[in-house]
Amino acid sequence: MTGNEPDEPTAESRAVQYDPESSRYDLYECPDCDNIVLALGRDEPPMSCHDNPMERVTDMEMSVQPPDVKQVLLQAFGLPKAGLDICLCVIGEGPLSANEVAESLGYDRSTITRYLSKLVELGLLERSELNREAGGVVNVYHSVDLERMRRETLIGFYVWAGEAAALIEDANLTKQDYLEGNPDQDLPDIFWESFPDR
Amino acid sequence: MSVTRRSVLRQLAAASDATRQETTTIEALAAMLDADERAVESHLYGLQACDLARARPDGTARVTITGEELLELDTDKLVIVDAATPNAES
Repeated sequence: MTGNEPDEPTAESRAVQYDPESSRYDLYECPDCDNIVLALGRDEPPMSCHDNPMERVTDMEMSVQPPDVKQVLLQAFGLPKAGLDICLCVIGEGPLSANEVAESLGYDRSTITRYLSKLVELGLLERSELNREAGGVVNVYHSVDLERMRRETLIGFYVWAGEAAALIEDANLTKQDYLEGNPDQDLPDIFWESFPDR
Repeated sequence: MSVTRRSVLRQLAAASDATRQETTTIEALAAMLDADERAVESHLYGLQACDLARARPDGTARVTITGEELLELDTDKLVIVDAATPNAES
């Protein structure tokens, strides 16, 4: 017998629809062209297009699956899972030693050191060198300024989302061109083939 | 009353001195923080593993130069001290 566990949300139950009354985010479109923008934290249309204010999208009927935030973050920032685990492990704690983080997460100590450096490369952590009483220095990893992190992660995610939207638009245009040239044929895999392999 | 590792470090820095090697006691720290001595002691060992404090078997402790410098960073956020590979990135 197949089926979902009683408490397991189904695809349908997890689906969400764009709610224009929600203040979480807004979608605006230009009445004269295909321009659609996403706006966060704005009460008014964020920009004009063709010399007119953009209009709030109110008739989006399509339901979408809510994103798995963890997966989105991993994909959008190229953030290794271990790196995200490290961030989640020590938020609100600390100072913690690298050994403690390793033991807590079940990673090798060398893995922690490697991913701490990766988080610095990604701009999610800063590294400072502190003097050691016995000589030499100690590496200390700490969060970047929260406002800076907010701006960088949001813009970084928008870049990723913009790239995805542009690819979808390109694929739609490719599909449209194909159908115009092949009116008697079913839609083949041309839509997916138009996405470049990365 | 629960106490954080960060607050133990702050109190330790206020009550001891790395350069002059002045120490305080775990008992005094616990009293100043209104915290359980075992909890304070546990955090001290954690701070010692980070090279931020020195705890002695006689129950005394002091902040280290590294601990004082960490507090000067004035960061209340995520902090990980990689003490065992001090020159790994240099």
